[in-house]
Amino acid sequence: MIFAPVKIEISALSCERDDRLLFNNLSVALESGQILRVAGPNGAGKTTLLRTVAGLFGIQDGVIQVNQLPLQECLDQIIYIGHKPQVTKDLTVLDNLKFLTDADEACLQKALDNVGLKGYHDSLVKELSQGQGRRCALARLWCVEAPIWILDEPYTALDVGMAKTLDARINEHVAVGGICLFTTHQPPQQLDYQILELGDVD
Amino acid sequence: MSIEKRMLVRELKLIAARPGDIFKPMWFTLLVISMVPLALAPDSQLLAEIGSAMIWVATLLALLLNTEHLFQSDFSDGVLEQWLFLDRPLAWLVGVKLIAHWLFNVLPLILITPVAGLMLSVSTEVLLALFITLLVATPALTCFSGLGAALTLGSSRSGILGVLVMMPLFVPVVILAAGVLIRATDGSDTLPLLALLGAFSVIAATLVPVAVSAAIRLNIGGSN
Repeated sequence: MIFAPVKIEISALSCERDDRLLFNNLSVALESGQILRVAGPNGAGKTTLLRTVAGLFGIQDGVIQVNQLPLQECLDQIIYIGHKPQVTKDLTVLDNLKFLTDADEACLQKALDNVGLKGYHDSLVKELSQGQGRRCALARLWCVEAPIWILDEPYTALDVGMAKTLDARINEHVAVGGICLFTTHQPPQQLDYQILELGDVD
Repeated sequence: MSIEKRMLVRELKLIAARPGDIFKPMWFTLLVISMVPLALAPDSQLLAEIGSAMIWVATLLALLLNTEHLFQSDFSDGVLEQWLFLDRPLAWLVGVKLIAHWLFNVLPLILITPVAGLMLSVSTEVLLALFITLLVATPALTCFSGLGAALTLGSSRSGILGVLVMMPLFVPVVILAAGVLIRATDGSDTLPLLALLGAFSVIAATLVPVAVSAAIRLNIGGSN
């Protein structure tokens, strides 16, 4: 499967939180096949920027367009994985995944095997470790088809092997015309990305 | 499976995982009702008169108890914000969630009212009126307390605050329901008041999901 060409245009975006200017007059354009890493120290506004591009934060000033359309009309083309768990502790791994996608069961099983949760499909998420819970949230990247991925600190709590698997999956995604925006403090070795540095706005 | 079906299935599985969520409010109602005769003088005439109103109020309180945290855990787990990426309007999904909540959490409260009625020696006609009033009025009450829950998602003492904010909207429903019960006791026609209550529920069910979705968006926008 290959995605139709996608383009995200962020123009003149500004954001102020608690009287602090996080970014000012920010303009970036991203096209199919590109990976953008948003970098910067803690509190620089990385999460805020990602949540704004995902449509979770209202835009204070500026414009975000996806294929020339307003962002709010294109949310179904986005997968957003934030740093909240994004899974329900009292449900099983498989049930968690089932709720957020309409992919068929075989596809979900395969996605869970891909993230190394083979044999845990029917375990409750509260019985898993933090890293395994994270894997469960990330499994959506293997079974939901959406061209735009917005991943906030996806590597947190992942072991080296899983981090590599995730890198490979991101590469696979951009190879078929997807876009990936992410933040991390541990620069991945196997990705070819552009960097957007946040911080130091006056 | 469509998202609506998935949401209903998820709700059932959550109840299976946390059965206390439905049983605690049911115990609460029965406990309150069983205390009433002990607190009053042992006068079965008086009990029969106030019994139906007591059951109504106890059920209302139990409903508030199990609705006040309707969206809380999904909100703090970050599952609620994922609803925005599903290919349905948020208000629609909220509507489905409210229906599921009414079916699985509120309906059981109504189903135990005959037992409570027997405990307070309420007559059969009044008990029937009570049962129907609750069926007709609880959709509105569920919607209103759901709105209270959504408005106060971001604050720490959300439960009490949500109930307080929504109190004025509960009042007309309770007054109309009391009217039905009084008429049923007299043996006069209860249909006009029931129709009004029904209208209240229909209006609430159509408008409240829109308000709830706006409140949810607001709270998601204010959090990380």
